[in-house]
Amino acid sequence: MNYIEVTIKLKPFRPFNEIVVAQLSGLPFDSFTEDEDEELVKAYILEGDYVQTDVENVLSPFEDLAKIKFTASKIEKVNWNQKWEENFDAVEVGEFCCVRAPFHVERSNFTHEIIIEPKMSFGTGHHQTTQMMIEHMESIDFTSKTVLDMGSGTGILAILAKQMGAKEVVGIDIEKWAYENMIENFDRNNVDITACNGGEELIAKIGKPYDVIIANINKNILLGQLPTYNSHLNTGALLLLSGFYETDVDDLIQAKELDGYALIHQITKETWCALKLRKGD
Amino acid sequence: MAKEISGIIKLQIKGGAANPSPPVGPALGAKGVNIMDFCKQFNGRTQDKAGKVLPVVITVYGDKSFDFVIKTPPAAVQLLEMAKIKSGSPESNRKKVASVSWDQIKEIAEDKMEDLNAFKMNAAMSMVAGTARSMGITVKGPKPE
Repeated sequence: MNYIEVTIKLKPFRPFNEIVVAQLSGLPFDSFTEDEDEELVKAYILEGDYVQTDVENVLSPFEDLAKIKFTASKIEKVNWNQKWEENFDAVEVGEFCCVRAPFHVERSNFTHEIIIEPKMSFGTGHHQTTQMMIEHMESIDFTSKTVLDMGSGTGILAILAKQMGAKEVVGIDIEKWAYENMIENFDRNNVDITACNGGEELIAKIGKPYDVIIANINKNILLGQLPTYNSHLNTGALLLLSGFYETDVDDLIQAKELDGYALIHQITKETWCALKLRKGD
Repeated sequence: MAKEISGIIKLQIKGGAANPSPPVGPALGAKGVNIMDFCKQFNGRTQDKAGKVLPVVITVYGDKSFDFVIKTPPAAVQLLEMAKIKSGSPESNRKKVASVSWDQIKEIAEDKMEDLNAFKMNAAMSMVAGTARSMGITVKGPKPE
């Protein structure tokens, strides 16, 4: 998705640098940078969310106090992460699983080998949360199970579930580039997995109940989506959650949707946490 | 031995909203940092401040590792919040529709002294009060000594 960079020239710079940020933060801008020497504030917004008159409306009241001029330019989406992706190490989770890029040599001494070219999607195996999810999955019998991987990113966990014998796997991601990337990685690993681009509304749309739902996202999104996960899990099904810190665990397991779930196993790595829960009767 | 620093990057990102697009992507990507790792950490640590603008100072090291410090929101953002004005709305400005107290000004000034380049509390409070007035927010009562 392309971004719009709005460059705002300010005279005087202070305190209007802060006021501009405060005003624009009420619009869907997600980040800002400042350059005091050049007397500039830059604000960033998704192309589809940018409305020029909205920016004019929130800046115009200050025009009698400061000179405020802004211009907008489009920044084409490229793989900003390319430099890192060109040269990273493969990831090993015990002897169970190796995650590597196409440029690494083939590994034969692992039960599962997954090849990922991430192209700016989450899930290369380098993050503690992905590794802990893989550890949780190691002890699950996926044979003939239906599996949902929510916030699939590169598709890494969906691929592993399929390799471990799952009957049907669905991967969903809200980011278009992640959706495109997971399809590439499914092909690269020769697995037949359904890829979908969208949010939690797709879970209800697809409709089937699952035997396992895997979600490595973040606390707020997980809390928001727990009701949907709950209504799409079979009795006795497994729910794997990660993407949050140890300090967030209580907020999650005390959520009312998880009443009747048993916490089977909790793994913690460098304060990140991953939970394995089973849905009761 | 201390690790060699290859760069310091200052950004302001809404809590929970870091993504690999600009400005995060180009700024960190150019230094060979794994952008996705930064986004996951930043979003993980700011879940309780979702949607609030948070200044972040990222230190990138020679080995492409990084760490970062998250600061409190800019004074102007805190003022809008204290005055209960919705940012970005047309009424959020210059009409003296809201007020804050000197205690509230002091609260902001205390954790923003460094950012304001102020050496004395009194000067920091005056700066924050000035920002408030520019935004149409009245500061109630006489300034405490």
